[in-house]
Amino acid sequence: MRMDMSKCNRKLNKQFGGRVRASFENDCIVLRGELERWPDVISACRTAARKYSRIHVVNDIVCPEAQDAPMRRPSFTDHTLEGAAPDVLVIGGGISGASIARELTKWKLNVLLVEKESDLALQASGRNDGEVHPGIDLGKGSLKHKYIRTANRMFDTVCKDLNVEFHRVGQYVLFGDVWLKPLIRLYCLWRKYHDGIEDTVLISGAQLKRKEPLLDPEAKFAILNPSAGVVCPYGLTIAYAENAVQNGAKVSLGTAVLGMEVENGTIRAVHTNRGTLYPKVVINAAGVFAEEIAKMADDRFYSIHPRRGTNSILDKKAGVYMHSIASVIDLRAQLRAHTKGGGTMRTAHGNLLAGPDAVETWQKENTETHPESIRVVFDKQKKTLPRLSERDIITYFTGVRAPTFEEDFIIERGRRTKNLIHCAGIQSPGLTTAPAVAIDVAQTAADMLSEKMTVEKNPAFDPVRKGIPALREMDEAQRAELIKENPDYGVIVCRCEEVSKGEILDALRSPICVPTVDGVKKRVRPGMGRCQGGFCSPLVTQIIADYLGVPLSEVRKSGEGSVITFGKTKTPEGGGEA
Amino acid sequence: MTNDRYDVIVIGGGPAGLAAAVSAHDNDARVLLIEREARLGGILKQCIHDGFGLLRFGEKLSGPEYAERYIDMFRARDIPALTLTFVTKIVKTEQGFEVHAVNRQGISVHYAHALVLATGCRERTAKQVFIHGTRPSGVFTAGTAQHFVNLLGEMPAKKCVILGSGDIGLIMARRLTLEGARVLGVYEAKPTPSGLTRNLQQCLYDYDIPLHLSHTVTRVFGVDRLEGVEISEVDENMKPIPGTQTRLDCDALILSVGLIPENELAESLGVEIDPKTKGPYCDGQCMTGVPGVFSCGNALHVNDLVDYVSENAAAAGKAAALYTPAPQKYVPLHADGSFLYIVPQRLDLNRDNTKVAVYFRSGGDFNKTRLSVTADGREVFAKKYAFLRPPEMEKLELDFGAFGLTEESDIRFALQLQAEKEREA
Amino acid sequence: MKEITCIVCPRGCRMQAAEENGVITVVGNSCKRGYDFAVSELTDPKRTVCSTVRTAFPDVPVLPVRVSGEIPKARIFDVMRQIGAVCVKVRLGRGDTVIENVLDLGVDVIATSDILIENGKAGGNI
Repeated sequence: MRMDMSKCNRKLNKQFGGRVRASFENDCIVLRGELERWPDVISACRTAARKYSRIHVVNDIVCPEAQDAPMRRPSFTDHTLEGAAPDVLVIGGGISGASIARELTKWKLNVLLVEKESDLALQASGRNDGEVHPGIDLGKGSLKHKYIRTANRMFDTVCKDLNVEFHRVGQYVLFGDVWLKPLIRLYCLWRKYHDGIEDTVLISGAQLKRKEPLLDPEAKFAILNPSAGVVCPYGLTIAYAENAVQNGAKVSLGTAVLGMEVENGTIRAVHTNRGTLYPKVVINAAGVFAEEIAKMADDRFYSIHPRRGTNSILDKKAGVYMHSIASVIDLRAQLRAHTKGGGTMRTAHGNLLAGPDAVETWQKENTETHPESIRVVFDKQKKTLPRLSERDIITYFTGVRAPTFEEDFIIERGRRTKNLIHCAGIQSPGLTTAPAVAIDVAQTAADMLSEKMTVEKNPAFDPVRKGIPALREMDEAQRAELIKENPDYGVIVCRCEEVSKGEILDALRSPICVPTVDGVKKRVRPGMGRCQGGFCSPLVTQIIADYLGVPLSEVRKSGEGSVITFGKTKTPEGGGEA
Repeated sequence: MTNDRYDVIVIGGGPAGLAAAVSAHDNDARVLLIEREARLGGILKQCIHDGFGLLRFGEKLSGPEYAERYIDMFRARDIPALTLTFVTKIVKTEQGFEVHAVNRQGISVHYAHALVLATGCRERTAKQVFIHGTRPSGVFTAGTAQHFVNLLGEMPAKKCVILGSGDIGLIMARRLTLEGARVLGVYEAKPTPSGLTRNLQQCLYDYDIPLHLSHTVTRVFGVDRLEGVEISEVDENMKPIPGTQTRLDCDALILSVGLIPENELAESLGVEIDPKTKGPYCDGQCMTGVPGVFSCGNALHVNDLVDYVSENAAAAGKAAALYTPAPQKYVPLHADGSFLYIVPQRLDLNRDNTKVAVYFRSGGDFNKTRLSVTADGREVFAKKYAFLRPPEMEKLELDFGAFGLTEESDIRFALQLQAEKEREA
Repeated sequence: MKEITCIVCPRGCRMQAAEENGVITVVGNSCKRGYDFAVSELTDPKRTVCSTVRTAFPDVPVLPVRVSGEIPKARIFDVMRQIGAVCVKVRLGRGDTVIENVLDLGVDVIATSDILIENGKAGGNI
């Protein structure tokens, strides 16, 4: 393949006066040069990139400002995985990796998923709004579009099987200008007949008011996408991974891929902090680090440019203001931006959520929040829901998305490296598309393996995961029955979210035990409420310490160094001194 | 499921609930107390410092001592109590209330003629004061830190910063210092301290812990454990002033930035909440807007002295015991802008208002102030104060029965600065 | 002259105390206890200490204690060291002595809770 870069370079010259040049190498557009500022790097790469193209921009521009810290990795090394030779190694414990691992267990395969963090869904998959998108903004020709409708329809079954909270609540896109209505009607018809987004309807302002009375009173009409829904994003990721484990996969947390040995276009060995692995097939689902993994595998043909977004979670008391997903559209802003622009919604757990924003950054793991993000989101979303108030915020968090410059997924076999599959560039609506993408990726892996070995279906595969019972959701008879079996279900530890000691112990006994305060919090929700663990965190810490049989000071909040206390107040030598 | 009937069910076994239960019992009510923790006593269990009970017992007691005195009184009366029992919902019925609870034995439903909600308060969190940055371990509310230190004997900090000069923050500054931690300073966004003056003296100045007013924490650093905080100066609107940030290395941030009455159960019953107190609007008998539902202690409004909590709760318990349904005849108590709030916010003229305790906080630091109560323009009560500060709650006892009130009465509370009055004269 | 904030009661009176030729004058106090406090602050400041002591019972790792009377302010950390060195091995109750006549200061360190006794009866909690 050849591609003429002269037009692109003329544009780059005009913009950056010869400091950046594009060249077509190995079927990629490689950008080289030096730019001082990161926004210029983004701008240069965007100039060179074509949306949804399979020819990707590889960013090799030197940018002194954009010196990211090295990838955070576990500080320890051991040999627990030394010599392991899984049929498939999945790199990354986000929604992509977890769902792929689960789909892979439909075959009789030795599957190993490695995740460098201390829990699953610790990055983008755990730090997003949990919307199950309808696809209204997606046109044919992209992978996002290819998967969205199929995947959206799968959610009822998947979430039922995996016992994950999912509600198909519908999404409203609000418009304040009545003159836009014919245009938007055409847009929806185009989406319906051209792109197959068939359930979208236009509703009047009056109809909207009946369905969601507290949304923008100025809205003249709205797009309603009934297929949109809300899911607990980390809940789904954990459930997928647990079901994978239940069906024979192995999940190794705190395991970072540090390097690979590639010979004749084949990955021979993968080095981790827990030993060297010899997988037959490697799946790259490494999120913001997919490009680094691709490079290790000698198959780098795309670049990831991190984009952070901050969501705010509001008190459940504000959760009653609406029961769906909604946003007001500013068409002009929408055309410029590369995101859906955020919205306001009631989460799967009944909180109100506002966000996210979208900010380009070079820092892949910086999940700090900034006051500016909250301001931007609330300024915008107060138009959607006038009652929205910063006073109801109980927490906020930042996630970093992993887009390519083509703003589409990369789901394909390695271009140079044969035993590699990329599941990269996964950004919104990647949570929605995951169930369908996972089936395809797993099939690709099975096909690859069957070139060398017989790959049989796993007759014992059980798609059903029995989750931890949420007693607060149950009727009293059901609840009483469970307490009779296990009295710990009757001891409420977290008052805000009504979580019992029994549920916390269940989380600790779950297939992928993450005995940290955050691990337990993600699984059964103590500390997720309005007091943010003020009352229950000492109790939860104590339960974890007792369960593990370790001193309280060894229990962590999340990562390795995140201890909660430093040991006893009283040492046998005597008290302290100022 | 078990079923049983009571005159009064008290929810919460802290100082308010205990006093309410004892008082309701002493007024011949059949009482049940429900407490979610394993032990009675509420937050006082972890308030091991002294200074409690000076008004109530004429002694300087520690929190556990004060609580246990009430527990002794409670037990001496053989009042039934369910501990480690959590109220999941309350349903209002024609006869009264149906209280659904869960504990190790299962689900139980209890019926009551009247309810006393003594559910206490919770602490404001880091995100509620808009602290940004990372999410490391080592950020605690003062009460959580106090739980670790005083109940579990664990050190949550070696070198810490305290945000907010509320009393628990000051108490924890001293407590952590005594246990060998370094407290780098107490930072307060307001231009005046939030805690009691004597706590500033005996918790900070005694230990040379600096207090920085008009400063706040704007950001935290550290991925796993807290490594430092960013301190910013704030302007008169308590907004951080750009360019004033400095970084302070520490391993813990302890927040004492305010308490919020817990009224989720009250709200589920339709009780209307006063945005100023964040507790229910109530009348002179501590009855909320929902007949038969009484509120007391820190659930009603945040107190600084437990002695007042006990007193107010005893009044609520008595009123609940004596409660008979009757139509309300409300007359509001208006407090002018110089008050932060007053409790109660109204009187029910169909009830006995001869001895009503009125609690208030001033809206600012005032020296030489005269409090004046007028009914229809006529002054019915006045009192002089040498100084009033918002952190220090004041109490009055008024005989509204003597003022000849009607439903149309206009009752106003005002604070007049003496200096102003003199100038006017 | 010395500015003193009274810590006797929650009023927190702000007082000025001065000593001249052995005579102490106090202004700003609202009661006799305030006067006494100001005098003691000038001559021999005293404080109480509240803390916890270790126990041998895993369900109650620490027991709250306080001194039974005031001690010289300068000796607080000395007393804390004594408190830190103790481990309670019997189920003491509220008011029971943990350290008798601590450092010869004429006051005891006493337990301020019945938690050990109660837990002994009930056997554990959450």
